[in-house]
Amino acid sequence: MDKGEILAKVNAIFIDVLDDDGLVLTYETTARDVEDWDSLNHIQLVVAIEKQFNMRFTSREIQSWSNVGEMVNSISAKLN
Amino acid sequence: MNEHINYICERIEVLNPVHSKKLKKNLAFFDDGYDEMADAFFKKYVQFLQSKHKTLDYAIDCYLQMLADITCETLEFMRTGKYSSSTFVEVNSRVYADPQIMEYYMHGLLMSQFLFRHHYQMFNFFTGKLPQYANTTKSYLEVGAGHGFYLSKALEILDEKTKFTVVDISETSLELAGHFVNDARVEYNLRDVFDFNNEEKYDFITLGEVLEHVEDPKGLLLKLNDLLSDNGVLFFTTPTNAPAIDHIYLFNNVEEIRNIVKSAGFQIAAEMSFLTEDVSPEKAAKHKIAILYAAFLTKIT
Repeated sequence: MDKGEILAKVNAIFIDVLDDDGLVLTYETTARDVEDWDSLNHIQLVVAIEKQFNMRFTSREIQSWSNVGEMVNSISAKLN
Repeated sequence: MNEHINYICERIEVLNPVHSKKLKKNLAFFDDGYDEMADAFFKKYVQFLQSKHKTLDYAIDCYLQMLADITCETLEFMRTGKYSSSTFVEVNSRVYADPQIMEYYMHGLLMSQFLFRHHYQMFNFFTGKLPQYANTTKSYLEVGAGHGFYLSKALEILDEKTKFTVVDISETSLELAGHFVNDARVEYNLRDVFDFNNEEKYDFITLGEVLEHVEDPKGLLLKLNDLLSDNGVLFFTTPTNAPAIDHIYLFNNVEEIRNIVKSAGFQIAAEMSFLTEDVSPEKAAKHKIAILYAAFLTKIT
């Protein structure tokens, strides 16, 4: 799966968890850009991504993400 | 908003924008009394940090490290439905016996006293009711004093002749509480409360967020029932569904807490519970959002 496909799946997860149909993520999107991406929803997002991609992240990985692109990179590294 | 809170908000906005959103909501919620109390606290706290050659930046880092730990523990809790540790031996070696972890954890918790809405609400519940017990409290015992913040308020509110005793299993915690409180009236005991037996009875006992740290919370409550004078009062707090690096006993809901309290021979004189997130009760139940519960208890006669 390439990073574009991963981003599309991650985008769908964000739409579902944050209940925001109009949400369009890019690799540069940060929590500052998405109003409802708060600490509670962050946990729900990580759990949903882990479930979707059948993987687990380490605490170091989760803390290292500063934007969606870094999240996608982590997923890609685990898939490939 | 006071200068220290402003500074903390600006730093957290840079260092952790995800948490910054919750922090802003918390601060918007606080009442008029908050600014005055926070101002007095942070003046004292910054002086304390300076005496240890540290700055507010250090405390902010501690707070964020504690939050990072909670995030990881919450993820594990969402995956398994359990806390990551279940025995005292595990958390003792992982947390309490590690001075480095204990230090950032204690500072993080102390900061949370003024940055978490539910911690502030809980503290107000304690300080609001404690004066009504001032006349009958000749001896005050705090089990697990942590950072010493509740103790510092008890010292302010209760009669100056009251005897103050602290029992805590962590040397780091006792040192921090001792420095922060800085009051010669307090006797500190580095001991497991289950081994604490000086033949005395106490008129008021405080047990702030300790039950979730022990394997046998009913056993601890029974021990405190024994330490409490016949007409004494026990104030305690404990959360439901609150994963943390040193939480081992999981209360799934408030009713489980009430049941254990009653089974240990106590009745509830007053109680409060606070959701730790700004969500509906339905969403809280669905996602197992933590609720912080507190009560003033008396012995069942």
